[in-house]
Amino acid sequence: MDFKIIPSVCSYCGTGCGVLFQVMDGRLVDTLPMKTHPVNEGKLCIKGWNLHEHVVSDKRLTSPMLKKNGHLQEASWDDAIQTAVEKLKAIIEAHGPDSVGVLASAKITNEENYLVQKFARAVIGTNNVDHCARL
Amino acid sequence: MTNSIAEIEDSACIFITGSNTSACHPLIARRVFRAKEKGAKLIVADPRNIQLSRFADVAVTQRLGSDVAMLNGLMHIILKNDWHDKRYIEERCEEFDAFRAVVETYTPDKVEAITDIAQADLEKMAELYATNSPASILYAMGITQHTTGVDNVKSICNLAMLCGNVGVKSGGVNPLRGQNNVQGACDMGGLPNVFPAYQPVTVEANNEKFAKAWGKALPGKIGYTITDMVRAMIDGKLKALYVVGENPMLSDPDQHHLVKALEKLDLLICQDIFFTETAEKADVVFAAVSVAEKDGTYTNTERRCMKVNKAIDPIGNTLDDWQIISKLSTAMGYEMNYADPEAIFKEITTVTPSYAGMTYGRMGLNGLQWPCPNTEHPGTQFLHAAQFTRGKGLFHAIEYLDPAEMPDGEYPYFLTTGRMFAHYHTGTMTRASEHLDAEQKTGYVEIHPEDAANLSVNDGDTVKLATRRGEIEVPARISNKVKPGLLFVPFHFAENSANILTNSAFDPVAKIPEYKVCAAKIEKAA
Amino acid sequence: MQEQVREWLEQGKVDIFLGYKKIQGHPLPHCFTRDNLDETDDLIVGNARYSLEKMATKIATEHKELKIGLLVRDCNQRALNVLYVWNQLRPDNIETISVNCCPSKLKEHGDCSYLEPEKAAPLKMMIGIDNNMDVKAAEEFGQEDRYKRWMYELQKCLKCYGCRDICPVCFCKECSLEHTDLIATGSVPPEVPIFHLVRAVHMGGRCIDCGLCEDACPVDIPLRLLYRKVNDIVSDVFDYKTGTSVDQSPFNMLGEEVTLEPKPI
Repeated sequence: MDFKIIPSVCSYCGTGCGVLFQVMDGRLVDTLPMKTHPVNEGKLCIKGWNLHEHVVSDKRLTSPMLKKNGHLQEASWDDAIQTAVEKLKAIIEAHGPDSVGVLASAKITNEENYLVQKFARAVIGTNNVDHCARL
Repeated sequence: MTNSIAEIEDSACIFITGSNTSACHPLIARRVFRAKEKGAKLIVADPRNIQLSRFADVAVTQRLGSDVAMLNGLMHIILKNDWHDKRYIEERCEEFDAFRAVVETYTPDKVEAITDIAQADLEKMAELYATNSPASILYAMGITQHTTGVDNVKSICNLAMLCGNVGVKSGGVNPLRGQNNVQGACDMGGLPNVFPAYQPVTVEANNEKFAKAWGKALPGKIGYTITDMVRAMIDGKLKALYVVGENPMLSDPDQHHLVKALEKLDLLICQDIFFTETAEKADVVFAAVSVAEKDGTYTNTERRCMKVNKAIDPIGNTLDDWQIISKLSTAMGYEMNYADPEAIFKEITTVTPSYAGMTYGRMGLNGLQWPCPNTEHPGTQFLHAAQFTRGKGLFHAIEYLDPAEMPDGEYPYFLTTGRMFAHYHTGTMTRASEHLDAEQKTGYVEIHPEDAANLSVNDGDTVKLATRRGEIEVPARISNKVKPGLLFVPFHFAENSANILTNSAFDPVAKIPEYKVCAAKIEKAA
Repeated sequence: MQEQVREWLEQGKVDIFLGYKKIQGHPLPHCFTRDNLDETDDLIVGNARYSLEKMATKIATEHKELKIGLLVRDCNQRALNVLYVWNQLRPDNIETISVNCCPSKLKEHGDCSYLEPEKAAPLKMMIGIDNNMDVKAAEEFGQEDRYKRWMYELQKCLKCYGCRDICPVCFCKECSLEHTDLIATGSVPPEVPIFHLVRAVHMGGRCIDCGLCEDACPVDIPLRLLYRKVNDIVSDVFDYKTGTSVDQSPFNMLGEEVTLEPKPI
């Protein structure tokens, strides 16, 4: 039996409420508001209270995928990365780095956003990087 | 936000416009209710009758897209009554006279004609805002998603400066960010014109600094915004798109146009935690992990950078987004070898002055608010305390302009879009959540009882809703939340996607599409 | 306290112990185990209150034989009593360490509010309901005034369901609040006043007046007062004192003398 309480931050809107994830035997079972958090002081909205539900949803993507014969099929990480790299390289070769666009995300972490824009600028060589702040 | 969430409780006046706060930012609405009970005055200006309207000292439903006229009208009244903060303007601001000259032409009768706000209400709004200090303005996408979005925001800043409300505790100009890390995505340079911490790519010294830090020559030309990218795809200039954690199929305006654009791509890579409508169109899909499976930081709407902690192991054959990008980068020939997110964060602090003083250890569970320039700095609760970041606060003289599309004989209704309380953005996460799905299972269009009666539409009837971009079938919800002539559709639902209807006309500066206003027609479905 | 928990874990009197531990300055609920005995040195009472018994209930549904120890304040103990009589937890499997939860000297008065109650703000006093009121005082408002005050409070509701989700004695598999024939979905505030009255009715004979619902309410609705009122009725009609002991079962409180026939007016 293993039961853990892990403090974290809600990933829905921009308010940034402190949550506690309840984890039983390695499974995420519930969400609680953090009582002493400066933003939400022990309260949450309907989305926050149900934060764990999207995580454990059976609709989650569980494998990388590649399009073969017009259909997306599960693939290995190596194949998915390799295919993406080959195609990207060919496009950059033929049309230059500004023929590639990258969309960062308002859902992923700061660390990940930093890497996405670094990838666009330093690896692809374009400033074509934006995200859905406007949408 | 210039100020912090908790400060709202101690405002003397709160002016909410273009934000359905109790539905979209409930834990910020909490502060509004508490402020109100402590004695604050509350002004709500929203084209719809929202929950907070019931609690307002004055609540108005301005005509869609008339915000500049409304704000100029309020400032006209404030100036006429000599309620403005002359010392603040003198000491801290500039270009006041040119601004004043424009505002003076926005007389209450002219403003009433444009906005449908009664002059008496305008007078009351102006008086409440100007004579209760400190006053805080809260706004969201109802202000920004217009072809005049930048003008709207500048007008809000004009109003706040006019009454000396910027740089004071419990005052400020407070945009409420819609997504958990939209602030962080901007701070980290997820924008085509700036590196992290808004350092312009066009400034030679910035370019050199990052080129040195990353060991690679960098492009100095401003890139495409998301709006530009769609056009470049249609024109065949943009051949590949790598989409991380977004669903433009549902979130971008004029969906039919976007589908055409995506189909012209040679390569679409999607990285997500769900098989989104966009992922369905991809050539390569990378499966990422959710908030509960990762470490890292988010920065909330009050600039508070907070740590998220891994609670469970990755579900299925998924990887952290940072691991996917590192693998991809390394395979592209640029080595990325980070031990963990903390190693990335350490690199961030070396090139991002506003985050320079932050460490995971210092953040704890409370987080730190930027700017936090050094490791002794406690973080910043509100901005522009002694002076504005640019020095003097700049007044802008702004004239009202109509939205790109106004109702006419063929499309006689105003249509606006937004969120509802139980769902979030394109519904990818919330519709996979049992309790949220139970709350609202499909889309709807809010229509006023009079309009419904004229069309012989009953509550729940399917109606055909059309604009110049396309049409959807959707159940009608008869509601007094909307005025006669106004329709509202939430954009969470793929089966009756609001963004088939919306106009992709955009603000010339911010490139933000006009989701909040277009012209529509409606009829009972056969 | 720390030593006792260590002993219990070592000796197998309990398999796990639910208490609090300070994490980066925040008192958070924590599950202490035999595998990490030294951690018991960090066990604290904590100045924040979480429903440890709700966690215990969740754990017990999956680990039926597990011996669970937990830190209890008076309110936690009352909640446990309710959970025992409704067969949600087995008393044989629960061990408790009681902590003095009332810093005030008014230990005998029933309000287990170890937190100093927040003083109601002026406008709330004027047009709403002061959360610190007792049922009697709240009933002294004239009928129309009282109605307006309650409607004011209930219209603030953001439909977070936090009052239910945090409640230690809300354990129903199907919840009336989600019954679409009773309460329409899809908008805020939820149907006023039906949503909260439905919940209040279901709190009769359940609510142990811990106040966690008000702690969780983003808009400070005086929920506790509503539930006290229904519990007063339960007490008057059935002589059932919710949560005070495990001797009285809710399943047999309708004895021969009590009928559900309408009373003559």
